[in-house]
Amino acid sequence: MQLPLLASTFVTVFLAELGDKTQLAIVTISGTSSRSGAVFAGSAAALVLASLLGAGAGGSLASVIPPDALQLAASVGFLVIGGRLLLLAGRNQDAEESAEQNAEQNGDV
Amino acid sequence: MSELPPPAPEPANGQPPADDRASTEAPAPSPQTTAGATDRAGSFGAVFLTTFTTVFLAELGDKTQLAALLLSAESGRPVIVFIGASLALISSSLVGVVLGRWLSRVLPPQQLERLAGILMIGLGLWLGRQAAMTMLPLA
Repeated sequence: MQLPLLASTFVTVFLAELGDKTQLAIVTISGTSSRSGAVFAGSAAALVLASLLGAGAGGSLASVIPPDALQLAASVGFLVIGGRLLLLAGRNQDAEESAEQNAEQNGDV
Repeated sequence: MSELPPPAPEPANGQPPADDRASTEAPAPSPQTTAGATDRAGSFGAVFLTTFTTVFLAELGDKTQLAALLLSAESGRPVIVFIGASLALISSSLVGVVLGRWLSRVLPPQQLERLAGILMIGLGLWLGRQAAMTMLPLA
């Protein structure tokens, strides 16, 4: 019987993944982008490929690529995205303020 | 499908919103807001690639537990385990996307961008610290 194994794997991985940093990243990217479809496609493809690599390579993947190096690369990626978002927020605030100033000036005239 | 509804215009003069919505709704967007909107949207490929790279890197470093799970099931049926794990991961990313969509409707975009940026930088620092601490064990 294959269904119990399928169900138990599904529940285990789903619960392990809820609230994980990966999901936080997905929430962040999807919330700040208007292209939810692209975010979903990209994250789903990445997760499936990562689990395929994990399944195919098994324990040997960790010996080929040190997981610390991957984590370091991921942390750099997070920092870059976070910095870009903060820049974007600052630029939008500037744009809003200048728009408000323009509106006030137009109102005075 | 992915277009957000335009924010309801605030009545500037404090009057209750009048019923003649046709005249008050859809104010002409200023050049700045349209530029910001396209900037945020990006192209499908760019968003796909950004998401893919981030999630892939973040998840691969975290893959040891899943690899162990798959190895533990190797005696049985690894294909079934892989299908179950993939379905779970796809569902969890769907939950994440839906949560993000909801947040983008509840919070003003600029505030959300700042919160998200702080969250991402915090996660990045935490991940980097973890990796650095295991790479360079401090005696």
